[in-house]
Amino acid sequence: MLSRLHPLGKLAACMTWIAASILIFDLRFQLATVIMVALVLVVAERISLLKILALMVPFALFGLGFLTTSLLFGRESDFALRMAGESPLGSLQFSAGLTLFLRAIACGMVSALFALTTDPGAFVRALMVSWRLPPRFGYSLFSAMQLVPDLAEQAQQIRLARAMKAGRPPRRIPGPFELASLVVPLLAFAIRRAGRAAIAMEARGLAPATARTVIDAPRFGWRDCFFVVSSAALLALLIVALRAAG
Amino acid sequence: MPSAPPAPDLQAPAVWRAVRVRYPFSDRSGVGPVDLELRPGERLLLLGPSGSGKSTLLQTLTGIIPHSVPAHVEGDIELGGEPVPRRKPYGWAHAVAQFFQDADQTLCGMRVEDEIAFALENRALPEATICAKVGEAMRRVGLPEEWRGRRTMTLSGGEKQLVALAATLAQEAPIFVADEPTAHLAPEAANRLHRLLLEQIPGQSILIVDHRLDGLIGSVDRVAVLGPEGMLVATGMPAQVFRHSRDTLDALGIWRPLASRLDAVLDRAGLAPAHPPLAVQDVLEHLDRLPASARKRAGDVLSSFAAEHMPPASSKGGDPIVRLVDAACAPFLGPTVLRGVNLDIAPREVLGMLGANGAGKSTLGASLAGLLKLRGGARHGPAGGVAFQRPENQFTTGSVRQEIAAALPGVHASQVDDALRSWDLEALAHHHPFELSQGQKRRLALATLAAGGRWPLLVLDEPLAGLDAAGSEMVTGHIEAMRDAGFAIVVITHDMDFALRLCPRSIVVGEGGILADGPTRELLADKGLLYRAGLCEPAIAPLLRWLERAAAC
Repeated sequence: MLSRLHPLGKLAACMTWIAASILIFDLRFQLATVIMVALVLVVAERISLLKILALMVPFALFGLGFLTTSLLFGRESDFALRMAGESPLGSLQFSAGLTLFLRAIACGMVSALFALTTDPGAFVRALMVSWRLPPRFGYSLFSAMQLVPDLAEQAQQIRLARAMKAGRPPRRIPGPFELASLVVPLLAFAIRRAGRAAIAMEARGLAPATARTVIDAPRFGWRDCFFVVSSAALLALLIVALRAAG
Repeated sequence: MPSAPPAPDLQAPAVWRAVRVRYPFSDRSGVGPVDLELRPGERLLLLGPSGSGKSTLLQTLTGIIPHSVPAHVEGDIELGGEPVPRRKPYGWAHAVAQFFQDADQTLCGMRVEDEIAFALENRALPEATICAKVGEAMRRVGLPEEWRGRRTMTLSGGEKQLVALAATLAQEAPIFVADEPTAHLAPEAANRLHRLLLEQIPGQSILIVDHRLDGLIGSVDRVAVLGPEGMLVATGMPAQVFRHSRDTLDALGIWRPLASRLDAVLDRAGLAPAHPPLAVQDVLEHLDRLPASARKRAGDVLSSFAAEHMPPASSKGGDPIVRLVDAACAPFLGPTVLRGVNLDIAPREVLGMLGANGAGKSTLGASLAGLLKLRGGARHGPAGGVAFQRPENQFTTGSVRQEIAAALPGVHASQVDDALRSWDLEALAHHHPFELSQGQKRRLALATLAAGGRWPLLVLDEPLAGLDAAGSEMVTGHIEAMRDAGFAIVVITHDMDFALRLCPRSIVVGEGGILADGPTRELLADKGLLYRAGLCEPAIAPLLRWLERAAAC
């Protein structure tokens, strides 16, 4: 459902919610944001809960950093403690840490909502048409996305070759020394690939500053207006309700 | 069939005059001086040994060299009578469509429809026109309409190559340039690509570089041959060049089509046809027209020729050295792609591994070598070594000598010298492995695997890909020597004639398992199996059938 919306309208709505999550230091607000987004993703978009949880792992690790910092070095996060002073939770340190933790998760959930419901191609096309993103940068983004799986495959090939020489199967997760030794060959591969892709695009006529058609560019419609307005209204309603509840 | 010769008064769409290219920090020219022209409506095949500058010459055509790839270019290059340097490379996209060897080089990771529309969007054509042209290009290449919205990243290698071809054809440029378009494709996909590439479009000129000549050469109007110094050593009609310059081509290590090699054999016996043949069928029709005694003599000389291109009697020694039992194989960190695999290989055996792009051959090879853990079943036997498709992936040191020394730990320097000498790498000992040509890299990769005899089983993944005839001959010789030295060898290849010549036994991989395991000649004669696996019969197959028929008469 959300995937049919204009990517830039959706981006604006998501950025607003992320900004609100950062600015409003209220555990209830963060919790409400996380639950609402999760409901939209699972119920409306039919995305597996497991996938969402997996996507939240880096955000959770990031948030845990805040939580532990708040618990161990409470005096140094004075602002957070003062803000959390109104929280219903007993321990100020824990309350502040939990709010910071949920803030990271809320930002992650809103980002996931955008990423999981937006076609990257449509997004880049919308940027080029509506926000005048130069096509050179737009198509560089595409190439970079294409490069990621190729880099992973290349890294696996190099790891297999080295494991063969070492006489043991490769480990699932490379150690720090192995990772460091992969940097130079992968960088060389990425530079070579990027150069070739640039040449191929130039050969197909991608010029720096000439007018070009963009087919199938997303168009802003009444559905997008409705989404942006209702998203803003929901945000305002939530803020007012929380203020009223004290 | 080649098109009719173009009228001489028409302006050549592309011209190189006294063109010489020298790369930075190089003390000699990479190409040239070269004088060459592409004529209106002509299909020109550019041949040359590895490193002769074929790709360099193609890239000068729209100014990619020197504009995007730094080099010093002398001489004049013109497109449609206009000097090429007058525009930037992107300014020639309306005139020249370029099809690269690697589809990933052409595609940007968008949807199929966007990839095909890309060049047309750059020309600012109306959206409706672009949509019509995209549909037309997809129909021409045979891409299903429902693929429009598919991401190209989800396609197999062969499918990506077809999308890249559709994207290039959609440009509708009067000049079409293709640089080794079939180097990494399975036979059926390569044949399809050749057919599409060489479809006659009025007014379009085609310049193609390719090593796979059988199936292609019959549609070519003219051949130009670059020598190792990057200078033209022969040009002319394909039949004439392959007959009259064949000694030059052989000396330079350039591939010749099978029909040309048969022509040479018949010529030595005084039985060559009056008109030089380009297809094996032409040779066979000539043989059928010979008087009975001459046909008998021709049969004798061609039998000897065919014997050289057939696998030797199996020399495998003793019990299997490595066995897979009911194995489930998966790429590293990937899902299971092959199930129920039962396979064994013995010392001094060369096993061919055949199959379409993406069938799982490389995964099976690495599993057989013990490099990938099985998801099910069992593997018995010692670890094996793998020569990867990209040999540079297995180089870890700063010089050829160090690579060999690393493969022979604890041995005296003189033994490293011996290994370098036996693999003809002495002169390159102090070069960085990445500086070597593709053939030299493959030789070094094989040398490091064979040196010290650490791995009794060797898996060679596409050992001939991108090599010229001389490089292929050299690699083939080394594989035979390794077999005679007692190694068990698995050869993963898309070259059916190579498999037939080298491998007494082969397996065909497809449909998530092993489709067939048996004598290579029998497998490659099974048309149903070949169709099912996306393979084609070897170029020599019609001759083998003719010889059988002749023997029966």
